[in-house]
Amino acid sequence: MNFLNKIIFFYYREYKLNMSGAQDILTNIIFFFVSIFIFIFSIGPDKQTISIIGVGILWTLLLLSSTLSLRKFYQDDFENGNLIIMHLNGLSFGFIAILKTFSHFIFVQIPFLLSIPIACILLNIANDKLFYLFASFGIGSLILSCLGSISSSMNLMNQRNFLLGSVIIMIFSVPIIIFSVGIINMEESFNSLINILFGILLIVFAINPWASGLCLKLSLENN
Amino acid sequence: MLIVKDLSVERINKKIFENINLSLTPGNITILKGKNGSGKTTLLKTMLNIIEPSAGSIFWKGKLLKRNFYDFYNHTTYIADTTSSLKKLTVKDNVNIWRKFFISNINDAQIEMALKTLKLDNYLNKKVATLSFGETKKLEFLRLIIENKKVWILDEPLSNLDEDSIELMKQTFEDHSSKEGSIIFSSHQNPGIYVTEEIEL
Repeated sequence: MNFLNKIIFFYYREYKLNMSGAQDILTNIIFFFVSIFIFIFSIGPDKQTISIIGVGILWTLLLLSSTLSLRKFYQDDFENGNLIIMHLNGLSFGFIAILKTFSHFIFVQIPFLLSIPIACILLNIANDKLFYLFASFGIGSLILSCLGSISSSMNLMNQRNFLLGSVIIMIFSVPIIIFSVGIINMEESFNSLINILFGILLIVFAINPWASGLCLKLSLENN
Repeated sequence: MLIVKDLSVERINKKIFENINLSLTPGNITILKGKNGSGKTTLLKTMLNIIEPSAGSIFWKGKLLKRNFYDFYNHTTYIADTTSSLKKLTVKDNVNIWRKFFISNINDAQIEMALKTLKLDNYLNKKVATLSFGETKKLEFLRLIIENKKVWILDEPLSNLDEDSIELMKQTFEDHSSKEGSIIFSSHQNPGIYVTEEIEL
């Protein structure tokens, strides 16, 4: 029961922190929409073209926008010693990584998920594709959070080059983009593609705790 | 009881310290003295099983700490030289988060009294970012009361504190020691606190 309470109050703490820094979440969303506008202006007013490449644009921007928030994934808790305090309170580094991944999903990715319908209107994406978009983004964004956790924890050991973590995320995101965009453009293969995406999620979800946990431990050891 | 035996730490082929022996028994107050960079923080983190020693062992209740560290953590409060309070939040929010996160059995009246003693009761609704460094440090000490654990590991607890606060810490240390608690703290200056063991690094 105590352990469950610790998890609940971990999220209470994350909620409080994210609400006090709500402008960061808002900035991400604004970046996302401003980028959509820039794409639309650069492509021109042809609805047909925007509609064809719309899903690709949406996924690329979701990836870039969620990458923006990675710098703060572990950095603050690492610098102010809260990672050690959480660990001393009985949470292993691997488990902290799982909790932080879900926190990133809830407080960073879900606002994007909620803004997808508006983005679909701007990009002339048909309403009937909305379900596929939600399904693929629901799974894809959790994969991005797991990859974000790994790259951010690696970045703690390499404080000089934040971009390296983002590059790693981008490279590993390629299969997610392929299958996620595929789901929307090839609706008849929905089941098989969503299963593949789900499989990727399970793989990164399994790797995340020990990879991030180890990086957190090493970075604290070398700090 | 914590026993440190022949502990050495090496980092990138550089010896930080070697052959450190100490024991933390109930009622014990140990001071780690040394200049900046002498390895005080490293030793404290090694005792917390955060840093891997290059030689030597640490025992907690007769077992190797490595195999028993979660039990050790259940009895230990660590205060680092950085401030762990969340700067974006108010003092009240921080206190509430700690109380819930550490599943503290300290009641509201005790917290109120501690805040008053630390002269932080007027800052309850202020953001931690607006407090001075000394005040943030005092807020950090509130964790000692909230966590209510036997072993205190404190990294430079007295730096940036005024004389009144140092005096308060002296009394707190003596009080904790009289209740069979044990304390190990680092300091690069002579704090004038009664200690049972002194280790020079």
